[in-house]
Amino acid sequence: MVKVNTSVDDIKTVTPLQQEYPKLLRLIPDPPPQLYYIGNLSLASNLCVAIVGARKASEYGKWVAMTLGKRLAEHDVTVVSGMAMGIDTYGHKGALEVGGKTVAVLGCGIDVCYPPSNRKLKEQIEMYGLVLSEYPPGYQPLPYTFPKRNRIISGLCHSTVIVEAGIASGSLITAERAADQGRNIYAVPGNITNIYSMGTNKLIADGAIPLIVVDDILKDIGVNVINTTAVKAKLRADELTVYKCIENESEVTVDYICSRTKKSAGTVNGIITVLEMKGVIYSSLGKIFIVK
Amino acid sequence: MDVAGQDNCKRAVTICGAGFHGIFLFGFPGSGKTMIAKRISTIMPTLSYEESLETTKIYSVAGELSEEQPMIIKRPFRNPHHSISPVALIGGGIKPRPGEFSLAHYGVLFLDEFPEFSRHTLELLRQPLEDEKVTINRIGGSMCFPGKVLLVAASNPCRCGYNGDDTHKCVCSQADINRYMSRLSGPILDRIDMHVEVMPVRYKQVLEDNYKRKSSGEMRLEVMGAVTIQRERYKKEGILYNSQLTPRLMKKYCHLDKDSQDFMKQAFETLALSARSHEKVIKVARTIADLEASNNIEMYHLAEALRYRNLDKLYQKV
Repeated sequence: MVKVNTSVDDIKTVTPLQQEYPKLLRLIPDPPPQLYYIGNLSLASNLCVAIVGARKASEYGKWVAMTLGKRLAEHDVTVVSGMAMGIDTYGHKGALEVGGKTVAVLGCGIDVCYPPSNRKLKEQIEMYGLVLSEYPPGYQPLPYTFPKRNRIISGLCHSTVIVEAGIASGSLITAERAADQGRNIYAVPGNITNIYSMGTNKLIADGAIPLIVVDDILKDIGVNVINTTAVKAKLRADELTVYKCIENESEVTVDYICSRTKKSAGTVNGIITVLEMKGVIYSSLGKIFIVK
Repeated sequence: MDVAGQDNCKRAVTICGAGFHGIFLFGFPGSGKTMIAKRISTIMPTLSYEESLETTKIYSVAGELSEEQPMIIKRPFRNPHHSISPVALIGGGIKPRPGEFSLAHYGVLFLDEFPEFSRHTLELLRQPLEDEKVTINRIGGSMCFPGKVLLVAASNPCRCGYNGDDTHKCVCSQADINRYMSRLSGPILDRIDMHVEVMPVRYKQVLEDNYKRKSSGEMRLEVMGAVTIQRERYKKEGILYNSQLTPRLMKKYCHLDKDSQDFMKQAFETLALSARSHEKVIKVARTIADLEASNNIEMYHLAEALRYRNLDKLYQKV
């Protein structure tokens, strides 16, 4: 395991006896008796929402996590996650990108960076956000520490969003904990053929709230939504045709747009570039999504 | 072309054939990358007499001519396996002979499973691709084999092939995926003009195909038109195709008006493109304009060309 250059002085501790202990975390059945942290502890007592999901994620999932992170952070909500690969990483990144608040809860000692590839992200969160752990410094990540850690993630938060989860994903444990703690659970629906969304779709069947529009969650937690300008009004006629075609299917390929709109691939590709520059769609690995 | 669907790919391939632009096909297993690559040479114009002679000379030196094929009249298509040794690809040996690279002269060099080639082999390709020739220095003397090739590379998104696919589970570890992708991000990919994401054709789409699709013949006609324009324009410049434009020639033939320049600037800021892509985008846009027999490069030509740099994103994002 890689140790980050965190000096011992940066690491502070807090117990439930202290006023600064995160408000909502105090209320769960088994609050950690001691928390180690680096960064601004007050973020954890702010209005928090967790963004969690599988480490292996689709481009769609990553995009949802990133957008959700941005959107929540823009509205001054703290984004809480576990700093794992995939969805977690993108949730943090989204929040950091707009200069928002974010909290990472680790399943290992606070001076240990797991996964090592997220070292840079960890440094950023330490600087602009908060890194938390119930394990003493130097504690190595073990298979059981992560599920245990998940109770803290859901415990800190008013609501938990599961962006993508396979059928046996660890994020389903977070959802279970959130339910035990009486917190709201949102799941991002996906195609029923998509293996990355089987877990989240199952959650919806079990009673989780489906997150249909990103801004839904903002309304539910009582935040005034900042209105995005009417994008569609700014599009040219042919751009609007392509935009609508993408909007109807949510996730399409260039070939699909060609056959639907009866336009040549060259024309469609040109329009996609322009739409992407206007920030209304996003394309990756051959698929095109609506952003706004 | 016996390729059903794939309008996007067909369009890209038409552009690549017309301007001799190297192309990188990226997609899931079974999406048709290999099938498309194998058909690129069929939409390109036939070899001219001079081209044919030059290619024949290389085959003669390599001892690849036979009684059935005393002269090379078809565009070569070379498809070396990824286990190929550097010398076999570039040329060399005790008695130096041309490698696969030179044998693909004026034709297609197809490298399937691109990241599986050894790093050393790929690095060796860099210089020859730029110089359009290989120089081999040995004690017995130095020799130079020409190699003006259309590089077609194909790759899966990861080793198992299904990273990001919604119907299969990827079994690679994150480290495996990173390693695989790092092979692609190298300077070699920067030297390929166009990236295309090949998507699998859905069965339903093929069946319900009432939409008129382009045939190989039509594509070839388009290519021929653009090639004729380029031959005429570059008569005195000693080059044949847009992909060969030097920065000096680009100033002369690829003029962008003020609006287009602003558009490019904005595109590079918003779309996370690498700086090296700039020249390539303009060259590809030149070819797109030629396909329409348009004298000027318009903004929508640039917009389309920008789409063919979509993989740059994968490396800038993280």
